[in-house]
Amino acid sequence: MTDGGRANADIAGALVSIVGEENVSVEQDILGDHSRCLGPSPVGDPLSVVRPGCPEEIQQIVRLANELEFNIVPASSGAPHLRGGAVPSGEGVILDLSRMKRIMRIDRRNKVAVIEPGVTFGELEEGAAKVGLKVLTPLLPRANKSVLASYLDREPITIPKYHWDMTDPLLCTEIIFGTGEFFRTGAAAGPGTLEEMWKAGLGLKNPMGPSATDIVRLVQGSQGTMGIVTWASVKLEVAPQIRRCYFLKGETFGPLIDFAYRVLRRKMTDEFFMLNAPALASMLAKNNDDIAALAAPQSPFTIVFCLAGYAHLPEKRLAYLEKDIADVAKQCGVEIKREIPGADGMRMIELMDHPCSVPYWKHRAKGAAFDIFFLSTLDKLPQLLAVMTGTVQESGFHAERLGLYVQPIQQGRACHAEFHLYYDPSDEAEARTAGDILATASERLAYAGAFFSRPYFPWVDVAYRRCPDTVWMLKELKRVFDPKNVLNRGKLCFSGVE
Amino acid sequence: MLPDQAYEALIDAVGQENVSREPVVLDGYAWQPTFNYNPELWMERPSAVVLPGSTEEVRQTILVCNEYGLKFKALSTGWCVTAAPWCEGVVILDLRRMNRILEIDEKNMYVVVEPCAIGAQIQAEVMRYGLNIHMIGAGCISSPLASATSFMGHGWDGIYMSYSPRNVLGVEWVLPSGKVLKLGTPGSGLGWFSGDGPGPSLRGIMRGAIGACGGVGVFTKCALKLFNWPGPPVVEAEGLGLDTKTELPQHFKVYLCFLPDWDSFADSMYEIGEAEIGYIINKNALGLLLSVIFPRLTRKIAKRKAIKETVDVLKNEFEIILAGNSEREISYQVEVLEDIISRNGGFLFDLGDNPLVGIFWWGLVRNYAPPILFRPGGQFMTLFGSDDSFDSQVTAARLGERIKKEWLEKDLIYDDLGDTSWMHIFENGMWGHCEVPFIFDPRNRRQVEAVMPEAIESVMASLEKNLGVGMLAMEPLIRKIASPMQGNYNKWQKEFQRIIDPRGAADSALYTGEAEIDLSTIDPNKLQKMTEIIMKNLWTESGPPR
Repeated sequence: MTDGGRANADIAGALVSIVGEENVSVEQDILGDHSRCLGPSPVGDPLSVVRPGCPEEIQQIVRLANELEFNIVPASSGAPHLRGGAVPSGEGVILDLSRMKRIMRIDRRNKVAVIEPGVTFGELEEGAAKVGLKVLTPLLPRANKSVLASYLDREPITIPKYHWDMTDPLLCTEIIFGTGEFFRTGAAAGPGTLEEMWKAGLGLKNPMGPSATDIVRLVQGSQGTMGIVTWASVKLEVAPQIRRCYFLKGETFGPLIDFAYRVLRRKMTDEFFMLNAPALASMLAKNNDDIAALAAPQSPFTIVFCLAGYAHLPEKRLAYLEKDIADVAKQCGVEIKREIPGADGMRMIELMDHPCSVPYWKHRAKGAAFDIFFLSTLDKLPQLLAVMTGTVQESGFHAERLGLYVQPIQQGRACHAEFHLYYDPSDEAEARTAGDILATASERLAYAGAFFSRPYFPWVDVAYRRCPDTVWMLKELKRVFDPKNVLNRGKLCFSGVE
Repeated sequence: MLPDQAYEALIDAVGQENVSREPVVLDGYAWQPTFNYNPELWMERPSAVVLPGSTEEVRQTILVCNEYGLKFKALSTGWCVTAAPWCEGVVILDLRRMNRILEIDEKNMYVVVEPCAIGAQIQAEVMRYGLNIHMIGAGCISSPLASATSFMGHGWDGIYMSYSPRNVLGVEWVLPSGKVLKLGTPGSGLGWFSGDGPGPSLRGIMRGAIGACGGVGVFTKCALKLFNWPGPPVVEAEGLGLDTKTELPQHFKVYLCFLPDWDSFADSMYEIGEAEIGYIINKNALGLLLSVIFPRLTRKIAKRKAIKETVDVLKNEFEIILAGNSEREISYQVEVLEDIISRNGGFLFDLGDNPLVGIFWWGLVRNYAPPILFRPGGQFMTLFGSDDSFDSQVTAARLGERIKKEWLEKDLIYDDLGDTSWMHIFENGMWGHCEVPFIFDPRNRRQVEAVMPEAIESVMASLEKNLGVGMLAMEPLIRKIASPMQGNYNKWQKEFQRIIDPRGAADSALYTGEAEIDLSTIDPNKLQKMTEIIMKNLWTESGPPR
């Protein structure tokens, strides 16, 4: 056995002593799931997979990592992973949190749930629905997608009016830093135990603090490099008594963006997002046989939105909103529809209300897809689309395989925009071209106004190249929370942090 | 006394006309009676005051402080003791020259401002675009940048326009080392529309729940969220303060709602939040309101039992402004509100054409009235304020009622009829806020000396109910006892401070400072209880109490 092999065996043995033999895996097929993602990120080298069952076990593992100086890569969602955040940069022990799947509390009155990292959207939706609440979800999450992983990554939710600030819908958290120390953020800082706080009537709804810290903001977006969240409270909203879905079709962006600004400002809608024809077809299709037929009759761009009525006079709410929003559409010169080719409102609601069926929607067209996503404002979208379209055209990639999904966030003040490149994974040349487009587009989009707030490969370098002062501060903070660099080494701007 | 060399260096930084070390000028910055425990009501006299006019002048001033071993503290509109020097050798950066609105982005609903652009000024400009800005409880004379970046930020429009620190987008920040840091998109040269990322958000070290009160440097620009304003672009108002006359615009309604008890009051708040109606909602302490409007009269009638009983019956009251973008929308909101209040056993009073409507409507929208809180007694203090579920805020209100009663009976606070709390909800009721103000006379030594024990008692009552430490979290003596019960947060704040302020240039008493409580001011029985609460809730090496 080599020195490296011996060290790995020592680590695995120590992990077994913490979580038990049945919760440590070194089998190649299991490690293989964690060595790569479906995006273009480089392949990693997982040494083992450890599955803790409680915060105290996580703390012991982090302390062990500090002692033996190994890399911990937190992962909460099930494989396959999409973006590379849960794939080690080089070697690493996968900290698989999927065993920690307790819904610790659902509080109807305060519209909040407290959950562990392994809870998936489907599981939380089931619990919330029982008490008349709904979960705020990203668009069509995978069935095994962890709610906390999604929120910690600042994935956008589909209802912009409930996205008040960037932390939403994440509220209070318990964190274990790279030092092995616990911390609790927001109202959860206490004092007291969780049970005492709940008994006193707290809902763990205030996400800020304690005092002059807002450490949850440093952990969110950090891809597990600052700390490991052991549980969190998350916002739920009232499930509508009545909800209808509508469509707005456009040949160009202009009128649709005008409409979006007007209705988002007034917080009129529940769900609200925009797709281009290939992305919409991918969402509606069951498999790749349907895609072309579904895409062809669509308008180039479609806005999907819902109006809803809640506990109080739900029909009246819906009625006034329908009339008011029709007035807005008229002012913008657009027409609201109740159906589009291949789907009516009911079908769209059915899709939005459940985790994505298999195959994953972005993979339906050609079997695989690369994403590139960023933040911008709605008025900048036309120029960013032109940049991306131009890059695709230059490369000779099929224009009809460029998907676009636009999700307004922060009540319309900004938007998450993502381009998809649908490609055939069995065609190496095509996969390579798609990867090259991503790399080229990253640079061009960054200089055309795209803000890569969630830095993944291949745009991580350009994202941080543009903000050296931010990088300086982040590296300093990394040294505070993870002085031995045991948490997800090499991610973000932290390669070379010591 | 500021050394001549340092004085000259400050003149080089901002110009002769923008520096002073005249005692008569400096004392204006040291007189800070509001929210001040110190019975003398004076803080340290600063060494100098400078009036920088730009980010670069702020930076140069801070570099001078670093070079000459001085401390600095920024002041925008400076409402209370948090803006004063807390130690010797402080250079005050009075930011009044930096008062510009730099950009209004109508479509993307944000405004970029300098520190001394005040709420009224910004609101008047953005209303022309059909937009509005969150106003804090201190009123429209205060700086929205200051509350967003540095201290508190509660306000009665929170149901529709959130809370100051959650309304921050891009930020420009001069660290105590003199380095300029831009958060979010401005850091990447991409405008002001986001303050978070790439990756972790540095807003995490900017403020938190309470704010660092100037202890982390100077915020020179920031983008703040704006919100829909369905009213007229210019509001025609005549008169000042309580004499204001104005017309209630189309699609607005103003109500006073009275509920029979705390439970129905809380239920109504929850339901209003869930129904997503309301533009402004606020529970004012009714007795306090009377005291402010009729201070002499209230003083005369305060001891009458019948008056107190009347106020007690009416105390579960709130004011609400409904605003619609259409006749259909306002009609819907009115119907829902009537339904909620009726089912909860209350009644509502439509101010409609009542002459008071101007005061209530424009008073709440423009938020010009808060400074008259100084009218009845000359000074006031405010307690509690650990935000979370609205139910927890009702608990705080009840605790405040109990505590206040005791101090009222001892004649150590102004008798505002014993009605206590200032409450509202944020973001459609996502969470709530409760403060318990009490008025006192700063010329009355007994009352002034009672401020600290009153405050400590409220903190202890709050901690006992697991409600946190609230608004007093910035106080060094509260931090000393609270931090070990809340994950030793001050350890992490000190780590941040080490990075951004390696030479200790910022006056950081209200950020990381710790001080011992004068235990002799506390009743021995209460002291015993306090010790028990602290010991029970201490964190250990293995983590929080479980």
